[in-house]
Amino acid sequence: MAAKKLRRAQLSQEMCERLSRYQITTCQDFLCLSLLELMKVTGQSYYEVQKLLCKVSRACAPKMQTAYEMKLRKSVNPSSAFLSTTLHSLDRVLHGGVPCGSLTEITSPPGCGKTQFCIMMSVLATLPVSMGGLDGAVIYIDTESAFSAERLIEIAANRFPTYFDSDEKLLCMTCSIHLYRELTCCSVLKRILSLEEEIISKKVKLIIIDSVASVVRKEFDTKLQGNLAERSNFLTRGASVLKYLAEEFSIPVILTNQITTSLSSGPGIQADLVSPADDLSLSE
Amino acid sequence: MQREVGTLPLAPALRARLAAAGFQTAQELLDTGPGGLSKEIGISREEALEALRVVRQECHGDAARTAGGSGTTRKCTALELLEEEQTQGFIITFCSALDSILGGGVQLTKITEICGAPGVGKTQLCMQLAVDVQIPECFGGVAGEAVFIDTEGSFMVDRVVDIAAACVQHCHLIAEAQQEEEHRKALETFSLENILSHIYYFRCRDYTELLAQVYLLPEFLSEHSKVRLVVIDGIAFPFRHDFEDLSLRTRLLNGLAQQLIIIANDHKSAVVLTNQMTTRIGQSQSTLVPALGESWGHAATVRLIFHWDNSQRLATLYKSPSQKESTIPYHITCHGFRDVQPPAVSHSTAGTELNPRKRPRTEEEKQ
Repeated sequence: MAAKKLRRAQLSQEMCERLSRYQITTCQDFLCLSLLELMKVTGQSYYEVQKLLCKVSRACAPKMQTAYEMKLRKSVNPSSAFLSTTLHSLDRVLHGGVPCGSLTEITSPPGCGKTQFCIMMSVLATLPVSMGGLDGAVIYIDTESAFSAERLIEIAANRFPTYFDSDEKLLCMTCSIHLYRELTCCSVLKRILSLEEEIISKKVKLIIIDSVASVVRKEFDTKLQGNLAERSNFLTRGASVLKYLAEEFSIPVILTNQITTSLSSGPGIQADLVSPADDLSLSE
Repeated sequence: MQREVGTLPLAPALRARLAAAGFQTAQELLDTGPGGLSKEIGISREEALEALRVVRQECHGDAARTAGGSGTTRKCTALELLEEEQTQGFIITFCSALDSILGGGVQLTKITEICGAPGVGKTQLCMQLAVDVQIPECFGGVAGEAVFIDTEGSFMVDRVVDIAAACVQHCHLIAEAQQEEEHRKALETFSLENILSHIYYFRCRDYTELLAQVYLLPEFLSEHSKVRLVVIDGIAFPFRHDFEDLSLRTRLLNGLAQQLIIIANDHKSAVVLTNQMTTRIGQSQSTLVPALGESWGHAATVRLIFHWDNSQRLATLYKSPSQKESTIPYHITCHGFRDVQPPAVSHSTAGTELNPRKRPRTEEEKQ
């Protein structure tokens, strides 16, 4: 929306040409200027500029919906609101399972089972809706090279022996799990930015990133100056894109995090390493 | 009429030509007339007519202001202000301790900012307020509607349904206890469906959409004149990344703050903003401070900081023109924002976004 060109905002042709002489081509550039600057740049009077502002704003502003309309839309399709984890007590606490349309963060000390959980969720997502799955593909972004395809097959075969009764079915399931190995923050961000097209073409219904913390920890030493700002920039940028994907396509996004001990003035406290998103946090 | 030409809201090129031709006051322009004006400075007659129309509009506005009529400058005595403030309603939060430290609740015509770490309850309070603003006047509310601008995507409709149901139940109990006719009538319109239909939700994905929405807000509020609450959940989130030019960020935020103040005053509504916390690295220690910098601190009239103390949530009134600084504990239950019950009930939480075992955030990793 920000990068929308002004000519699509229904400004007149000559106005757009005049503005492009000052390098103002997108709605974002236009809205970032103050009223006086706009008057100078457009050569219009105060009241005209206000009308132009309203026009451009109308082109970028989000659509209004009432809370009632949102509730009606949700109640029309209740089964697609969650991905059940098949762990009954966990599902009960989560009111149904991992919610679709928001980010879920899983944190734990090493060895507790985060990657295993992620592998299991990938199997569940490929199951048909009648069995509690989402009947779709999975995008798995692996930064620690911890994903094991053999373990995937083992979980699938042992957990659902009646469904995965033939090699063909197992093969079909593994074909719909797309694994990407990214080892740097930059490549993770690039991958996240390219996900939109993949989601549409491959009919993806679940995104897993395992784990955000390991790349950030490797690259950003918090004791060095300037790193904090860059780190938070990377995290918030990634988070906002992931939120957009989750909401736009109504799919769950699972992120894993690590635990570190923070030694502040009191005794050492266990705390989450990074916190890009906080819609839901499961701590094991 | 003696107003200088340079102060009129005309196009800059036109102003330059008028100055070059020697015009100094608005009266001179009006005396010359459109024909004479177009010949003297070399513009078309239509443009001259348009310019004179603008001048006349401005001068009428000035005259009305100096005659003491209603204009954009407000002039009144402190006594009138006192009477106005005393009759003004508050938006209650259902947590009586919080209402009392705020002096009655969230004030209309003021900007209230809520800062806190993630998970401490800022969005919960916003959702609670969006429901509470609709409480009918006979129950102590302001009977208004709410605009909810969401930048983080943390608005959960199911949670609002829970909160609204609890609020309606509460009002029913009051009505039964007091048995008055007006209560019964008010309850007919105060239903779950009505409450949800009067929360106007906008999802802004980046700061451009947020700026655009705030520009369009005055028009929206004139159409929906019953709106008494504007919530912007997450004013910091869109401004914290992709901003190499910090001075641009400060300028945009200041512009935003000014527009919100105008909206709050013109439409007699409360504006509630939520802010994130960031770490300030000092010499030997790091402290948690509200995000967006020092200059943003001046934008809000009332500032609340939500934080943890072991597993108890606390709210501190950090900045207020009329109330003193104090801290109170609060609770988030399945019915919404509530007081802490004397025998500390650690029951709490419902809704998919709350974890009862959530550990408090410490400064280290907060960015």
